[in-house]
Amino acid sequence: MMERLYKRFPALLMARRNITRTKVRSVLAGLGIVIGVIAIASLGMFGVSLKYQLSQNLGDIGNQVIVTPAGDEGVQEITRRDVQRIERASTSSTVVPVKQRVDPISFDGRGSPTHELVSGMSHPAKTYTASEGRIPDPLRSGAVIGSDVAEEHDLRPGSTITVNNSTVRVKAVLESRDGFGFASPNNKIILPASSFADSGYDQVIITADSGTAANQSARAIRGDLNERRKRVNVQELGSIVDQINSAFSAVNTFLIGIGSISLLVAGVSILNVMLMSTVERREEIGVLRAVGYQKTDVLKIMLTEAVLLGIFGGLVGVVLSIGAGLAINHYVVNDVMATFRLQNMLYVVLAFGFGVITALVSGFYPAWKAANERPVEALRS
Amino acid sequence: MIEGEDVVKQYETGGQILTALKGIDFSVEPGDFVAIMGPSGSGKSTLLNILGLLDVPTEGTVRLDGEDVTDHTDKQRTLIRKQTIGFVFQQFYLLPTLTAQENVEVPRLFDDDEGISERAIDLLERVGLGDRLDHRPNELSGGQKQRVAIARSLINQPRIVLADEPTGNLDLDTGKQILDEFQNVTERDVAVIAVTHDELVTEYTDRTVNLIDGGIR
Ligand SMILES: Nc1ncnc2c1ncn2[C@@H]1O[C@H](COP(=O)(O)OP(=O)(O)OP(=O)(O)O)[C@@H](O)[C@H]1O
Ligand SMILES: [Mg+2]
Repeated sequence: MMERLYKRFPALLMARRNITRTKVRSVLAGLGIVIGVIAIASLGMFGVSLKYQLSQNLGDIGNQVIVTPAGDEGVQEITRRDVQRIERASTSSTVVPVKQRVDPISFDGRGSPTHELVSGMSHPAKTYTASEGRIPDPLRSGAVIGSDVAEEHDLRPGSTITVNNSTVRVKAVLESRDGFGFASPNNKIILPASSFADSGYDQVIITADSGTAANQSARAIRGDLNERRKRVNVQELGSIVDQINSAFSAVNTFLIGIGSISLLVAGVSILNVMLMSTVERREEIGVLRAVGYQKTDVLKIMLTEAVLLGIFGGLVGVVLSIGAGLAINHYVVNDVMATFRLQNMLYVVLAFGFGVITALVSGFYPAWKAANERPVEALRS
Repeated sequence: MIEGEDVVKQYETGGQILTALKGIDFSVEPGDFVAIMGPSGSGKSTLLNILGLLDVPTEGTVRLDGEDVTDHTDKQRTLIRKQTIGFVFQQFYLLPTLTAQENVEVPRLFDDDEGISERAIDLLERVGLGDRLDHRPNELSGGQKQRVAIARSLINQPRIVLADEPTGNLDLDTGKQILDEFQNVTERDVAVIAVTHDELVTEYTDRTVNLIDGGIR
């Protein structure tokens, strides 16, 4: 096979022989490329994993806006009028006001009750969907619970829980969703708003069609309600996600920049090795030119050498970076197979490509120099 | 066939001009076996380089088959070297990474040439190295390297062979073997020009040119 290949690309034969002639030197030159490729590929993969991990935690809540009373300004609740203004400001979005309080709850009807955060909503069906049972719209009696709550206490539609010493029947279990903190429905306990005494609300959840629509609503709400005095805090998860994303692409660019510096160093070392080898092989190259090798032929041989160094260094680098990727994905996202996601593989390919191109570019000057040496000069010694 | 007319070669070193060839007329015809003799530094290698289109004369004209090739581009001269000229250098200059056989094949390596291996083996057998095909240059004696270099000069089936001291490193018998080989090729209308200090060579050549201090005597 090799024989055929060499017959086809004679430059390859000469290049390979020349590389193996000074093994240690070639290995050292190739090592630069190996390190550069690993740096770019694994830093890239590290960034991808972090970002993936984070956005997985954030889940699909990018289209929600959450309005809470500005407690730091002394505002205790969101009034009905506020809700109406929010509804006007956020057209084409669902607006669901929520009341909250902490109630003693006993899930199995026996034992001492624990204190849990309870939400009061009259139309939970507008924002949530049920995985078991049906959410009454409007919610006038009974309770709707999140999937984590249901699982933890082994509850299903028809089960009863005790809230504030009165028995309440579970009507539905909410579909579980990726998300975190206050936006996650998974640990909610929802009771009818009418069971809350006070008239104001503690939270308003606005669900828009898209992240951009959510952002528009958020701005409109801020403009309207906070115009004269700050009344509400408006939290927009979509913009948090966007900020995180752009922060991460900046981090990634920076990491890859660092990786590229190591490739630059690799390039310089290949340049050095190739220059040394052209000086050493001056006469040999002179002979090739004398027996009829054109300048381009010499160029081809030398560049093939550089590219071979790049390819071998690059391949070793790729293997090692995949190893590094496996480790990164094991520790960061806890999923080894995530290494083989397209984005990661793109970084590996990119790093390999950069490695080979670096070798080619840094081989160019020595090759050009060797090719342009006058054979008579080279053969005088 | 190849012809130099009024060839002058000057070297400029450190502001000084050294005239290595002082207006030389020289020509060879197909089948000629010519010896160039002369003391060291008399300009023999310089003349050989100019005739072999490796170097250009400062003044004068070089013609190949009547065509003026003095002002050819590097590319054209390289092509002519490949098609017409075989070199045997004073220091052989074999490629240390290649075997004897590969060294002989080198000039044709970039051509898609089917019969190249057989021809290389045949040539090595003719210079008495049939049993050294896979040896690297560092595994060969000086004389054996010389013979590999000679085989290499013949692989392109040149019409002119330029040899700088072809027998310089050989004992009498091997020297004769090489000279016989050269004589064989001249019978196939190849011209051989050999620079030499060796009187033995002149027994084989048709004529001898004496070069002294850049001029022909
Ligand atoms: N590139 C060069 N630059 C300067 N001087 C040169 C150069 N090449 C040759 N010379 C000079 O030209 C003269 C002729 O050199 P050349 O190599 O032709 O001698 P030669 O007859 O082959 O000698 P030898 O028998 O020792 O090989 C010498 O004086 C040499 O110093
Ligand atoms: Mg000489």
